[in-house]
Amino acid sequence: MMNFNSYSLTKMTKDDKDTTYDLFFGPNHPGMHGNFGYVLDMVGTEINSVKPNAGQLHRGFEKLMEQRGWVQNLTLVPRICVMDPDPNEVAYCMAVEKIMNVEIPERAKYLRTITLEMSRLTSHLISIGGAGASLGLYTPMYWSMADRDRVLDMFEWLTGGRVYHIYNIPGGVRRDAPRGFFKKLNETLDYLESRIPEYDRVLFENPIIHKRLKGLGFVSKEDARKTGLSGPNLRASGNVIDIRKDAPYAAYPYLDFDVITQTGGDAFARAVQIRKEYKQTLDIIRQCIKQIPEGEVHASLGNLGMLKVTPGEAYAKVESSKGEFGYYIVSDGGLKPYRVSVRGPSLPAGFLWAQKHLPKMKIDDVAVWMGTLGICPPDFDK
Amino acid sequence: MKITNLIKTLHSRGLNAEKICEGQIKVSVSKDSFVNDLHFLQSIGYEHLANINGVDYINENEFEVVYQIYSYSEKIHIIFKVRIPREEPVIQSIVDLWEQAQFYEQEVHEFYGIYFEGNKDLSHLFLENWNDLPPLRKDFNTEQFSEELFGSKRNGGNK
Repeated sequence: MMNFNSYSLTKMTKDDKDTTYDLFFGPNHPGMHGNFGYVLDMVGTEINSVKPNAGQLHRGFEKLMEQRGWVQNLTLVPRICVMDPDPNEVAYCMAVEKIMNVEIPERAKYLRTITLEMSRLTSHLISIGGAGASLGLYTPMYWSMADRDRVLDMFEWLTGGRVYHIYNIPGGVRRDAPRGFFKKLNETLDYLESRIPEYDRVLFENPIIHKRLKGLGFVSKEDARKTGLSGPNLRASGNVIDIRKDAPYAAYPYLDFDVITQTGGDAFARAVQIRKEYKQTLDIIRQCIKQIPEGEVHASLGNLGMLKVTPGEAYAKVESSKGEFGYYIVSDGGLKPYRVSVRGPSLPAGFLWAQKHLPKMKIDDVAVWMGTLGICPPDFDK
Repeated sequence: MKITNLIKTLHSRGLNAEKICEGQIKVSVSKDSFVNDLHFLQSIGYEHLANINGVDYINENEFEVVYQIYSYSEKIHIIFKVRIPREEPVIQSIVDLWEQAQFYEQEVHEFYGIYFEGNKDLSHLFLENWNDLPPLRKDFNTEQFSEELFGSKRNGGNK
């Protein structure tokens, strides 16, 4: 039989009367985000040192993808980030399109952008709710999950799936939006916008939130750039960096939006960053709905089930709600990828910054620290 | 323009650089000098190390270690590739250049069995009690592995 070391992790140390002990802060802890764990060496309630304990979610996606057809893999990739699945699909398709040198139709670019931004909404809603829930303020979590369901309803109408959509395919998107979709989507956006003041009152203007989050987990501007942080974490430290602007893809070159930044660099700045990007996302989707042209939604690549990608390699990246999702794909010209390597946004925060931030932190701050850094374990433990 | 300049600079250092598409190039570098070249690129603004991954070119009997680096100011992505022989999979660590390389190198070590000289901790991050071949190598047979470990057969043993 297999012998798992994890079972022996929670044992109390005997020699110093239980004031120092190993705490297994794992998936069984309500504050943990996903199936991941930290083994915390504690002194009372203060953390002394930390050892990440990953591997509980490891499904070997990169190996599986080498054994399945190019389009079959689209059912695997969204599972690399549960909350924000669409950036995976798009980055995978973009890498394939770069190798094959395919340009997708204009309408498909807009539909891709709309799914990406709707996916960002669902993810940000969990982050906003999670910022409250990890401090014991559960109301915004209930609200945000209910609001998120409205976006999931729209996803179900558009793609047939609520959580995993598998809507983007190499060459465009699977099908056009159904009749009346954009009108209903506009109404959903209006509803979500009307909810923002409620979240502000209960969460972002709450003195307890200010007190708990300010100064927690500070990352300086230079450190954020050097250590591989990306997305909202990078911008909350004052860096004007956004892949949607720097290496535009889909319909982003045609859209008008600014890169939002904060200067604080701490957990509060990151929470505010998410809240502001949430509002911006609503505006971006509205722009897409206004500008979307008529036309084809899919460039013809022949029978997709027997798709052969020309030999070559490319790296494609997408700005997800957590940061840079990058797919490095090598093709040898066959029916399956030769190698797919996934770059998830969470690894620098989940491993490196855990070892910088967690020592000297109190145990009650760990959950909210993870939440505001947007650590989503499936994207490194894949 | 920027990309052609960069390719010229890399050619003058004796490197084999090639444009893939807009804003992206690939560079092949020898195992002996690659740390100097990465250090040079870091010093001219390529400060973002996005990933380190391995590729197993089993037919050529070589591993490739790929460093994905990016410049926020130039907005150019470099796929930086180093080939090492399969029999002697040893390469220098770049933990001194980028701190997060520690974990990417641990991951590549775990899944390809490549040793990073100078990395102090190459323990496993994701696999537990793993005594088999490193699983992302092309000669690792997943079907045989699951048959041996779990006694499972494809299609429940039918056909």
